[in-house]
Amino acid sequence: MSKWKKKTSGTARIYRRPTLESDVFGGRVGFFLTRAISNIRQNVFVNAVTIGTITLALLIVSLFLLIFVNLESAVENWSERVQVTVYFDKELTGQEQSSFREKISALSGVLRVNYVTRDEALKRFKVRLRGQETLLEGVRSEILPTSFEIALNSTHRETDSVENIVTKLKQIQGITEVQYGEEWVRRFNSFLNFMRLLGALLGGFLVIAVIFIVSNTIKLTIYSRRDELEVMSLVGATRFFISAPFLLEGLIQGLAGSLLSLALLYGIYEAFLQNAGSFITFDPAASGLSFLPVEYISGLLLSGVLLGFVGSLTSLKRFINV
Amino acid sequence: MIQLHDVTLAYQQEAAALHNINLKIGKGEFVFLTGTSGAGKTTLLRLLYGALTPNSGEVLVDGQNITSLKRSQIPLLRRSIGVVFQDFKLLHSRTVFENVAITLEVLGWGRRDIGKKTMHILKQMEIDSKYDLITERLSGGEQQRVALARALVNDPKILLADEPTGNLDDANKNQILNIFKEANIRGTTVVVATHDRRLIEQSHMRLITLNKGEIVEQVEKENFRDCQDI
Repeated sequence: MSKWKKKTSGTARIYRRPTLESDVFGGRVGFFLTRAISNIRQNVFVNAVTIGTITLALLIVSLFLLIFVNLESAVENWSERVQVTVYFDKELTGQEQSSFREKISALSGVLRVNYVTRDEALKRFKVRLRGQETLLEGVRSEILPTSFEIALNSTHRETDSVENIVTKLKQIQGITEVQYGEEWVRRFNSFLNFMRLLGALLGGFLVIAVIFIVSNTIKLTIYSRRDELEVMSLVGATRFFISAPFLLEGLIQGLAGSLLSLALLYGIYEAFLQNAGSFITFDPAASGLSFLPVEYISGLLLSGVLLGFVGSLTSLKRFINV
Repeated sequence: MIQLHDVTLAYQQEAAALHNINLKIGKGEFVFLTGTSGAGKTTLLRLLYGALTPNSGEVLVDGQNITSLKRSQIPLLRRSIGVVFQDFKLLHSRTVFENVAITLEVLGWGRRDIGKKTMHILKQMEIDSKYDLITERLSGGEQQRVALARALVNDPKILLADEPTGNLDDANKNQILNIFKEANIRGTTVVVATHDRRLIEQSHMRLITLNKGEIVEQVEKENFRDCQDI
């Protein structure tokens, strides 16, 4: 049945106000979404510019992240060399071995404990001096010490933690000599700190630049459509009614931009970076760079959506005067 | 319908754009506001649709005191007011139909009802054959009729027009004036700001003359013929 009803009186209003679309569940959401999509279709150029800017900005950030994540995993590999060795002058009996192993493993930060016998130590010595075996003539395993090699958890590889473990090791009765390559650990740690600082600085600058560029682009695109905002407010649209399609448009732009940037990043990764691991790890045998982990990918998608949404929200605040 | 009590409004640091205005416009009246450029016509209209708030005094529109309205209530007030401008303020990337339908979309009307009502008003404005054209392609007179259709499509209680015929030729002026008169006959209060003397003389309606932000002369509809110097 038609919602339109003619009034019987002559010159009065012909039509009665019909049922509101918002009375139907989801009516408004559908309306705003349709409006947002038709806005995108009617302003193709402006939308292409915004999506392009978001894509490029996020591509730069994601390239940086890809390199940073791979560098960090390379550094993680190097840090496995941080280990503490406990030396003994005599060969330990099976009981002594298990007693020490138990005490050492009980310390916090200890990942793995490996006993090296005199014979094993000689074997390693020989491997290291390959080609100059004559130097080892007459050397017998008895002159070499036995040892425990202690690998540490990744969270306990900084100078302070290592020193802390060394102190605790020295407190165990029977342990006198502990070595851990002090100088190497120190250098490694200062390199690690430098890299983290550099990453944070570069990443911070990049993020600020990206926010600045994207928000200004969105501001300009909304400025170019300020007539539309004015007309909407003249015919009695509320702030929410005017903003909603623009915000949805911002969301769509952000999502499209981040998806495109991830697709481009994957293309670049497949074409150039997949086999370029040796540049970063300095290890020719490295198997190549790995792609961004899932949490980074979802983070990038979310940032794109947020960029579009918040960029539109702050720009709209400036141009809507109701 | 419209009442102004001791209204004064000044833009930043400048002399008052409106000074001590007292004015009553009754329901269903047709009023012309006239005066030289800068006399305060546009400022007065902007006060009436809530785009400006006065520094002092009270503005009552349709029983509501605009000066005490919250910002979020202004849109609701505007739904009972149609506004028309000299530069039409149409959305040029959209069609004639879309430009008019926007008023009803804001009110939350259903799609089918919007279609019927919009085509009905376009027919009244004699522009229904061009409903799917982009407004940029229309002539000045046609664009103003689209703007009028947008302002009148929800049968507003008040129609405000700021120099609506400024860019139009005589034939189009007459057509626009007739649309105003028809709307007025249907019960809409009409306030037209113009310095087009021919339009004023032709219509014989109440006339309010502004000069430097003050009302300097009021001619009632009945006495219009006695007025020699407008």
